[in-house]
Amino acid sequence: MGGELKTIAGTAAACVAQVLWVLLLAPLVEGLVRKLTARIQSRQGPPIWQGWFDLLKLLGKEDLEAAEVPWLPRAAAFLSLGTLLFMACVLPLGAAPPLGEQTDAILLVHLVTLAGLGALMAGFGAGGTYSLIGSSREVMVMVLLEPLLAVAVVAGAVHRNSLAVAEAARGGVFAAEGFPWSGLVLLVVILLAFPAFVQRVPFDVAEAETEIMEGWLMECSGPTLALFKYTAMLKLVLYSALFVNLFLPWGEGVGGVGAWLWFWVKTGAVIALVATVAAAHARYRTDQAVRWFGMMLAAALGALWLAGLGY
Amino acid sequence: MKAREKERTLRERFGAAIRRTDVTSPGRWCLYVAPEAIREVCRFVFREMDARYVISVGMDDRPYSGRFLVSHNFAFDRDGILAAFLAELPPDRPEIPSIAGEVPAAGWAEREFRDLVGIEPKGHPYPKRLVLPDGWPDGVHPLRKDHAWNEVPEDWDDEVTFRFDDPPEGCTVVPFGPFHPTLDEPAHFRLYVEGETVRGCEYRGFMVHRGIEKLAESVMSYNDIPMLAERICGICGCVHNVAYAQAVESAAGIQPPPRAEYIRTVMLELERLHSHLLWVGLACHILGFDTLFMQAFRIREPLMWIAEKISGNRKTYSLCLVGGVRWEITPPLAAELRGILDRLEKEWNEVAQAVGRDRNIQRRTRGVGMADARLVKELGLLGPVARAAGVDIDCRRDHPYAAYDRVEFDVVVELDGDVWSRVLVRVREVFESIRIIRQCLEKMEPGPIQTPIDEELLPGRIGLSSVEAPRGESHHFVVTGENNRPRRWRVRAPTYQNLQGVPAMIRDQTLADMTIALGSIDPCFSCTDRLETVDLRTGLVKVWSQAELEQLVRARKSH
Repeated sequence: MGGELKTIAGTAAACVAQVLWVLLLAPLVEGLVRKLTARIQSRQGPPIWQGWFDLLKLLGKEDLEAAEVPWLPRAAAFLSLGTLLFMACVLPLGAAPPLGEQTDAILLVHLVTLAGLGALMAGFGAGGTYSLIGSSREVMVMVLLEPLLAVAVVAGAVHRNSLAVAEAARGGVFAAEGFPWSGLVLLVVILLAFPAFVQRVPFDVAEAETEIMEGWLMECSGPTLALFKYTAMLKLVLYSALFVNLFLPWGEGVGGVGAWLWFWVKTGAVIALVATVAAAHARYRTDQAVRWFGMMLAAALGALWLAGLGY
Repeated sequence: MKAREKERTLRERFGAAIRRTDVTSPGRWCLYVAPEAIREVCRFVFREMDARYVISVGMDDRPYSGRFLVSHNFAFDRDGILAAFLAELPPDRPEIPSIAGEVPAAGWAEREFRDLVGIEPKGHPYPKRLVLPDGWPDGVHPLRKDHAWNEVPEDWDDEVTFRFDDPPEGCTVVPFGPFHPTLDEPAHFRLYVEGETVRGCEYRGFMVHRGIEKLAESVMSYNDIPMLAERICGICGCVHNVAYAQAVESAAGIQPPPRAEYIRTVMLELERLHSHLLWVGLACHILGFDTLFMQAFRIREPLMWIAEKISGNRKTYSLCLVGGVRWEITPPLAAELRGILDRLEKEWNEVAQAVGRDRNIQRRTRGVGMADARLVKELGLLGPVARAAGVDIDCRRDHPYAAYDRVEFDVVVELDGDVWSRVLVRVREVFESIRIIRQCLEKMEPGPIQTPIDEELLPGRIGLSSVEAPRGESHHFVVTGENNRPRRWRVRAPTYQNLQGVPAMIRDQTLADMTIALGSIDPCFSCTDRLETVDLRTGLVKVWSQAELEQLVRARKSH
């Protein structure tokens, strides 16, 4: 009995530590991304702590109740942030996750969907024309994107015969018996659609500041906006980490601190790639983006079929 | 002379309806027409003689000739003629047959003189209020001479709001503006949207109409007005500055010295350079491509610095007086300018290549915001919008002014009529501007930069001037007057015509394309006029009225 309590306390402590770590890290990553973007654009850029400053400023501001149903965007903000923080407890971040490696990998897919739902709730709660346009664009994107992740996880599960995070979501896509065709196709597909998962140019159609004025985020202000911004920062870090887990599992065999460091180096590279792509592209129009995601989805389903055949 | 030939054609066709004509100089032609024939004459000129519609001007000429005047201005671009077709109207019943049915491009201009001068365009297809604010009472017309420049009507009502038309069935309304991140100035497009497809729109602008023409006609003098004129636009101000000075010079027969003409040319092209660079940057920003936006602004900055070195200001150059210019381009400045142009040419080559290779940008701009040659003709669209649709017009070549007849350059024309073509036109015009400035620096001879003007300018003379702004032709119409100021000064900026084309350009396109289609005409509106404050302690919201803001600005602080 005492031993069980001890385990629970240990797990809880590990969860808190993991959550604190990503909470501390994400705004710093945002600052670094902005610095990198600024350098590409021949600018000086803000200090790397700017992510922190922005959040502190917004948290100290009044939450203007501009939305038609003011509690809905606020609840959505907590839901999105909470979802992301829970994901931090399930996802391996260079070491075994606090909640163990036997969690069902499909849960990760659900968490990504749940985080996206926050955008819908916020937009529909705000009720303004532009917010609704933003939300409906977000639905279109979600419907096509979520299956991509699901396919990647299921392909891993098929190869490894297990749905546990440690099996299906840790490079499982490459565990085919022969040459890992399905894994490589999925790697390319998700890489090409990845900016959409983290709401970056060229696929930030649901916010699109110069078209629909931040869409679903439009009526959010103060702390609510801060939480959504925090969520976006966490998304960049955690989804990149998820990508590394799914597709770039190599070189972590050494274990310990070395593996942990190597994991974050890889994640950092993915984030830098996202920032560079965003700086070098114009935004796609909604119909262009949707067509693109449709092509990716078709390719992903093809990859699933290959995985079923054992490739 | 071409103008005389045209006059003969018109006289043969319309006989006594053509009352008298005046060819003031080879490129300027005034023609007085009987009011009842004006619609038919304008139709004939616009359709059969293929003139380009420029602008319509209403004037209260009662203190001088006892009449109201309307002038419909047209341009014969192939023959280098700017023409004014004038009609004199009786003082008690200022009415004129509307030409907007025959010449759609005149739609706004006629609504404007209906609002401001109170001349009724009979039979106008859409006689809705255009310029006057919503609370302004009917029957009061601020540009009439018996209305003081600072007079606000007593029955002004702050509470009246604009009444929009009903949207078509099955469409929802998406308000675009008055404030939107890609509109740098307030303007309201009420979009009728089906799904994400725009089916139509209604426009309400003129929210910050500043009454600049009235101010000039009432309280300023000939040589004050250039400084006022350049404040019409924050981007192509020098254009208005030069166009005004030229209009007065054309009315009074003053010839500025050659060196002044070269300096005007250099400054105008400098302005086009910074404006086109700014536009390419902003267009990229609208498409979410901020890297090229930032690079364009970095490349542009040295141009602003050299402008500041020449004129003392980055933007408002205060360049012209009537009969000359105020700033000299000294040899060291010329040398520095040459260096800047060399660097600009190199860097802009890189940008042009990057843009040309970028399939991403092309996907967002090809086939978007279409304006074909027919629309250009019907609505009098101008500048890069016209040239991107294969309409080969450019005032610098067609109605040469300043030193443009002494330099060589190509008029850039593209054929597709979409946003991508407008991008290409502007990108390539940068190289032409560089070429023009280099030639000017080469050919400028030392000499005076101002013609002395000893005698008072004769009143009642008409001057027309067109200057090719970065956005298209800026047209100024001046009637000289007493007290060292014009009786009437009408400014037609290119956006005035191009904005009228926007509803047709965005029809049946997606909402996402709205911003770049609008951006592609490089619109130029004006600045903000309302202010709201919130008292944090009590939560009270207060909207400041115009009167209170004025009080705030004008009242002296008591210490």
